[in-house]
Amino acid sequence: MRAWLVVAIAALVLGALAGVPAYEASTPHAIWQEIAWPFARDGWPAGRAFRCNAAACGGDIEVYIRPKLGFCNCATGVADDDEVDRVADVDLISPHFVPLQAGKAVRVADMPGRIRAYELKTGDGAPHGAIGIAVSHRCDLLVAAAQGRGDAAVVQRAALELLASAETARWVKLAMNTQ
Amino acid sequence: MKGGGKLALCVAIAFLGGAGAYAEQQKIGAPPEASNMRLVGTNDLQARSAYQPTIHHQGDRWIAYIGHHGGTDEIPDPVNPMTGKPEPNGTSIVDVTDPAHPKYLRHIPGQEGKYESGGGQMVRICDGKDLPKGDRNAVYMLRTFGSEAHEIWNVADPANPALITRIGGLKDTHKSWWECDTGIAFLVSGAPDWRTRRMTQIYDLSDPAHPAKIRDFGLPGQEPGSTGAVPTELHGPISTGPSGNRVYLGYGTNKGGFLQIVDREKLLNGPKEPIAVNLRYPEISRMPLSALNGAHTTFPMPGMPVAEFAHDKDGKTRDIVMIVDEAILNECGEARQMVWFADVTTETRPMMISSYTVPEASGSFCERGGRFGSHSSNESMAPVYYKKMAFIAFFNAGVRALDIRDPYHPREVGYFIPSITPATDKRCVPIEGKDRCKVAIQTNNVETDDRGYIYAVDRANTGLHILELTGEARAIAGLP
Repeated sequence: MRAWLVVAIAALVLGALAGVPAYEASTPHAIWQEIAWPFARDGWPAGRAFRCNAAACGGDIEVYIRPKLGFCNCATGVADDDEVDRVADVDLISPHFVPLQAGKAVRVADMPGRIRAYELKTGDGAPHGAIGIAVSHRCDLLVAAAQGRGDAAVVQRAALELLASAETARWVKLAMNTQ
Repeated sequence: MKGGGKLALCVAIAFLGGAGAYAEQQKIGAPPEASNMRLVGTNDLQARSAYQPTIHHQGDRWIAYIGHHGGTDEIPDPVNPMTGKPEPNGTSIVDVTDPAHPKYLRHIPGQEGKYESGGGQMVRICDGKDLPKGDRNAVYMLRTFGSEAHEIWNVADPANPALITRIGGLKDTHKSWWECDTGIAFLVSGAPDWRTRRMTQIYDLSDPAHPAKIRDFGLPGQEPGSTGAVPTELHGPISTGPSGNRVYLGYGTNKGGFLQIVDREKLLNGPKEPIAVNLRYPEISRMPLSALNGAHTTFPMPGMPVAEFAHDKDGKTRDIVMIVDEAILNECGEARQMVWFADVTTETRPMMISSYTVPEASGSFCERGGRFGSHSSNESMAPVYYKKMAFIAFFNAGVRALDIRDPYHPREVGYFIPSITPATDKRCVPIEGKDRCKVAIQTNNVETDDRGYIYAVDRANTGLHILELTGEARAIAGLP
């Protein structure tokens, strides 16, 4: 019993120190686990990636978040859905994605932007939903992409829950230098 | 060493380090920093943020046409002293016949809007007598009107320009190219239905009063109706005209850039419907840069004799493209943006052969404020410098003069960093949610004229600096 307690405390402390805490979003059952950034190095520094298991989120869902500092549309921000297609990192998951419908306005960590749902074309033919989110502050972007088997609406709900969590918002503000 | 001694040493090192960095900050009244380049004359350009300068020999005069970015938060519409009215930044027209005493002739207002959202960044000039269907007495200025249009003006009387025509309805514009001998223009535009901010619209502007659209061009994935990943946007094309039959297009700004080599004839006369197969048809090759770099300027120099290869049985001359990235973040907030030389002699297998950057430590440029890194090069192909020297705008490191006669080993032979003035605008970085600002020169663009003068303009509102070479650099150019 005592050994179990020590292990549990050690895991919590190490997790916090490593900056990889388990994230508890607003839904009590949605537990997010930070995972390694799964994509190869590109023009932007790697961001943070999270996974939520099927039991908690209604399907295995992964969310990838990163700032893109230095974005040219300083005045107009994320003005349209094409901008989301271009910048939101959905292409990292698969270069073949098709929007399901027009995007919508969204706010993440007090930054305005747009969110759009996609169907991903994957090799196995199984339905695969994805979400692209891009919000901006001055000349900087925060982008998020999410994917999961099944309905894009489920992926979207889970991704927005993660982004709305206090812990994520704190990190976003730090990363974007907005606090 | 005891604790107190260590502390004192640390304090001293911190003080000296800080003093060193501070010493590199530019101060109003301090002289310019220069090597083998000399200031000839200046003009403040009404303290407007400047982009592309084009110098035109017009009759017996030399006229500088200078595009501007939009205004600043503090001064969105600077007052034009000639009219006494606030005017959105547009185009400055300056008589530089006497480079020691430039004379400001006219400001043509641009699109309302701040920074890159307004102004009229781009300028190209063609004489009517060179254009196949132009008015022989006219001099035509092609410029951008902010993000929404391209305009053509008659600037035969540069103090009294007259608007000829406008190509509007766009969502963005940028660094276009205009062939004066054919009238073909490669306009960097944002067509409303394309999935990118910037692609190429090709027009026949041989009769500037009656623009004739030839086609839209871009990368597969950017065209209307396409899905999936969207390739990075165009920055600017440079054509070698019918004789060279190539267009070199630079994509990207500070990331994921590449050079695209296009067959001009196929581009102009091939199938035009904007579908992927037609967009691929005129492409000869692409050469990707690192994901950490973009391509602002792709300047072709075909048939360069390379002295080192003079006795080789093959490959004595090389087709070279100089690629200049654009730095966009202040105080080195990104990977270094610099200059690259590509050997495109075998066009389907272009290869990067050399690079150039200003050594950061030579001026503590990451601490000076504003952007540090390259932005653009001169684009004049006049014999005075072509294939011999290149001039690079390097933001807070000013203008850098390169000896490029051996493009495999480019070498800096001069530089000029203008002094700041009370008009020089600050540049800020966010620190813990608050702006921390510094003032530094931001040499944005550079151009040369046939006489050998070098024209550097400042993004941070410091104006125009007209320079000439001295010493070794002047000898390399063969100037008296």
